[in-house]
Amino acid sequence: MYFISGTFILFLAAVVLLYYIVPKRVQWMLLLCANLAFYMWGGAKTVLYLVFTTVTTYAAGILLQRLNVKRKEIPKTEKEALEKLKGQKKAVVAVTLLLNFGMLFMLKYLGFALETVSKAASVFGAELSVTAPSFLMPLGVSFYIFQSTGYVVDMYRGKYKAERNILKFSLFTSFFPQMVQGPISRFDKLGHQLTEYHPLNTDNIREGIQIMMWGYFKKMVIADRAAVIVTTFFADYNGYGGAVTAFSIMMYCINLYCDFSGGIDITRGAARLLGIELEENFKRPIFATSLSEHWRRWHITLGGWMRDYVFYPLSLSKPFAKLGKWARDRIGGKLGKILATSAATFVVYLIIGIWHGANFRYIAYGFWNGAIITSSLLLAEPYSKLKNKLHIKSEAKWWQVVCMVRTCFIVFIGRYITRSPRLLVALSLVIHTFTPATFALSDLWNGTILGMGLTARDLWIVAISVLAMLIYEWYEEYRGSVTAALAKKNAFVQWIAIFIPLMVILLFGIMRGSYISSEFIYKQY
Amino acid sequence: MTSGKWIIMFVSTVLLIAILLCGFNILTDPFGIFGDPIMDWYSYNITNNPRAAKIAYLDKHHEEYDSYVIGCSSTSSFPVDALNKYLDANFYNLIMYGADMLDVEQTVDYIIENYTVKNIVLNVYIDNGVYYGDEPNKYTHSMHPNVDGTSKLEYYGRYLFLNPEYGISKIKAYKERTWLSQSYNIFDAETGAYDKRRRDIEPIADLNDYYKAYPVFTNYPTANYTMPYIEECMESISQIVTACEENGVNLIVVTAPVYTDWMKFFDMEDVKNFYTSLAEVTDYWDFSYSSVSFEERYFYDSTHFRNNVGYMAMARIFEDDSIYIPADFGHYVTAENVNDYMIAYPYASGVSEDNIATRVPIIMYHNITDDGDSDMAISESELEAHLKRLADEGYTTVTFDMLYDYVTYGTTLPEKPVVITFDDGYLSNYERAYPLLEKYGMCATVFAIGYSVGCDTYKDTDNPITPHFDEKQMQEMVSSGVIDIGSHTYDMHQSEAYETGVARTTMAQLGGESEAEYLDAIRADVQRSKEQLSGITGEEIRVLSFPEGYYNDNILAVLREKGVVMSVSTKWGVATVIKGLEQSLYAMKRIGADNMTADQLMENITK
Repeated sequence: MYFISGTFILFLAAVVLLYYIVPKRVQWMLLLCANLAFYMWGGAKTVLYLVFTTVTTYAAGILLQRLNVKRKEIPKTEKEALEKLKGQKKAVVAVTLLLNFGMLFMLKYLGFALETVSKAASVFGAELSVTAPSFLMPLGVSFYIFQSTGYVVDMYRGKYKAERNILKFSLFTSFFPQMVQGPISRFDKLGHQLTEYHPLNTDNIREGIQIMMWGYFKKMVIADRAAVIVTTFFADYNGYGGAVTAFSIMMYCINLYCDFSGGIDITRGAARLLGIELEENFKRPIFATSLSEHWRRWHITLGGWMRDYVFYPLSLSKPFAKLGKWARDRIGGKLGKILATSAATFVVYLIIGIWHGANFRYIAYGFWNGAIITSSLLLAEPYSKLKNKLHIKSEAKWWQVVCMVRTCFIVFIGRYITRSPRLLVALSLVIHTFTPATFALSDLWNGTILGMGLTARDLWIVAISVLAMLIYEWYEEYRGSVTAALAKKNAFVQWIAIFIPLMVILLFGIMRGSYISSEFIYKQY
Repeated sequence: MTSGKWIIMFVSTVLLIAILLCGFNILTDPFGIFGDPIMDWYSYNITNNPRAAKIAYLDKHHEEYDSYVIGCSSTSSFPVDALNKYLDANFYNLIMYGADMLDVEQTVDYIIENYTVKNIVLNVYIDNGVYYGDEPNKYTHSMHPNVDGTSKLEYYGRYLFLNPEYGISKIKAYKERTWLSQSYNIFDAETGAYDKRRRDIEPIADLNDYYKAYPVFTNYPTANYTMPYIEECMESISQIVTACEENGVNLIVVTAPVYTDWMKFFDMEDVKNFYTSLAEVTDYWDFSYSSVSFEERYFYDSTHFRNNVGYMAMARIFEDDSIYIPADFGHYVTAENVNDYMIAYPYASGVSEDNIATRVPIIMYHNITDDGDSDMAISESELEAHLKRLADEGYTTVTFDMLYDYVTYGTTLPEKPVVITFDDGYLSNYERAYPLLEKYGMCATVFAIGYSVGCDTYKDTDNPITPHFDEKQMQEMVSSGVIDIGSHTYDMHQSEAYETGVARTTMAQLGGESEAEYLDAIRADVQRSKEQLSGITGEEIRVLSFPEGYYNDNILAVLREKGVVMSVSTKWGVATVIKGLEQSLYAMKRIGADNMTADQLMENITK
């Protein structure tokens, strides 16, 4: 039961209705039932994986809590006991992480790993025919593992108290709107919201609906159309010139953003209907002026998770401290200063890359991001000197725009890597795009694009919708909330702001592709 | 506005949109699900979904029918009028494009249970072994819930919340609909069959022209089809046989002709297995593979045989020997004879072009004068030279009736046939050509313009025109057996110079004239011309020459309706007439010989 179905809407409506009808103290239980129902719908068998993660992280939380309490009883002078206790805590965390990431590895990467091993073996002449058992991918498995291991690490750090009620805890690992594509929430922000009583608040309902509509618009009107071009292109990526290649990758960027952020909006809107506030996962990445800012605006909760649970622990760890000291002493200069941080950055982006999927091109994608960010750190000084010489002020609007375009371009190139079937293909496509011999701008209007599965009308719909989205985001970025501004308008304007989006979603979203002209039908017979 | 009010507004807007959408879909009803209250346009609805819309149509109209022919798209070409004639019944053609045998079984069950059914003609096509129980598209291929018992809620819900584009397209199509069907209304609601009026009047001549018009036959696709559903298909047929027996319904099973290249998609062992299995379930008339399969002009497209072939098949079944039927077309197959029949089955082959088609040069003249100043005239001496040369070269003049008999009955034509024609009906045809033709023992057809018979001035004016022969002269020529008379329209060859209003110089539609007015005009003119000319000659007028050679589908269809089953154009070339294809008699090519020498004429005739 994914978001794009009448079933989901009906399910959600029923849940919301019951949610505000049932007695106060069972509201959270109803939510748990809804989660279970949603999950069972997606594949009853895979619920066991969810239960496994819930139980292990719950238990780890309780254990760590006890150890934390114990630690307070130990006087600071007894260093040995403290060390021992720290070791125990580490062991709990290590076992939990190992179990959960082991499961994730098994589900997601085993096939890739085995394939790589057998490929490597065949280089040395050995014939290894190992095939990974195929698993039914459980819904949202990466999301709930990341989310609950974050909780375990927080418990290790003693950030807050453990949840004692396993049912209440399982609300946190299984909150249904999040199951499809996140965001990755933190226990301290989400946990209590899920178990607290939420009386009916019409503001929440209104905002929830508005956020969801915006999400459906992005997903169904824009993303699903742009996807057609992308699929067509990659079915025969050697058959197009550079301009169409660039156009298709741009469509992929649009598709990815609208699909992902649209889905998150639906999630956030659905949660809001239940009075629950989820974190923002996208903050208009098109306005980022640097790649590192892009990553603070794109898939924010993943970035934040990586920062808190990978980057900091890594850069503060002993080996990295040693590396940092060594680099400052031996290499010196700028590079010496940032080497340890850069290394940690590389690791983070590699993990982000791998998280996207089991393939070398994702590793390369991580490398691409790490390299750009590191080099921008390295070149920061000469760069700002150059800017001074040219009398460019960083705050100047035109310069900001230049930086945004530059950032978009870097992200755009990165997308060649993530969407191509193989890394070499990505490279050849980039070369293809930037070789004048294969790049003819006229390909964009000589009819090639109309042969890629979208009609001229569809292309117009994409163009106008993207423009509308950009205006909306521009307003949100520089002026403030669009919905808040609308709320001040008169009833008619507000009605228009309901009617038009609903019609657009209905006609150009829900009903997209459901029409076949009778001429076409007859041609087949 | 408070959020509470906003929510009420939102919910009412959602409801409003839902009501508008449902209302629009009910009123336009592009699939004929809700009784099509406004347009009542079932030829359109059935095109969108023949399964559902035909049942909706029959639920209202089944009392007009007592018999059904049913099956996938090739079923359409088993003509209901032939069946009505042979079985004295009222047939409805329940062709459903892409139907598999499950669709057919369910539909048969439904009509037997709910309607009066005397006869069922069941068409089994080779593809019925390939597909079974498919529903490739839920809008266009779904069955009516009364027939297959699916959820009515889901069914009506689906069409209630239909993409309004369907309704908009229907409205657009309705506004621009034409007398002859378009691709959006390719069914004839009353007979249930495809409305093939356009394809049944399309002029067909030699193979090269046909390949140009339908390149699929020169570049035929290739594919490998397996037949995984023979068992299921036969089980369904067996159910149909039982249902018909139990209810006293006369069942005739036929197998549609398969185009030879389509046959190549299959493994011949599978094919034999398919038709053998069918014989084990029921006796049937097999038309699947014969010389007909090898003649692309007998097919509308890569898979569908023409109505012409359907008439042949029906004539074979009902032992009607009045029309041409290829000798190897049609076998009655039973469980007893199927094994013997299958031995020779794979070796069906086509016949040579000479056996089925004949090239007939049709020579066109106008006036005969020795002035030498007109393009549309030939001198008497030159005409004689032409005739003499034709005789010397062994040509025999034939009449249009002989061409008609060749095409319709498969009669023979002389070795080197030629047709001589004169357009307009000038006096010189009587005074000069007629004696010459008589001298050489030849015959010809003169196409007379109705209003100008016997005139030497233009209509009611005093403007002089080339004199035309009169009624008496016409009678004399016809009774001699030398001259046949054809129509050159009554008054659709007007002169721009002498008309006060807009002149109708050809049979083309005038600017500003609606289609209905245009059709009335052609109908009235053709009717008048026929009545006038047959009144004078006592002969039925079955051939027409288009003024200035102009014709279109509407003209051809009206002519066919009026029994004018042959026509000549001014398209240059030698005509080809084909047995069993009346279309080869439409808009036949001619060779304009007014300005030719005898040598040039021979060169053009033999080209």
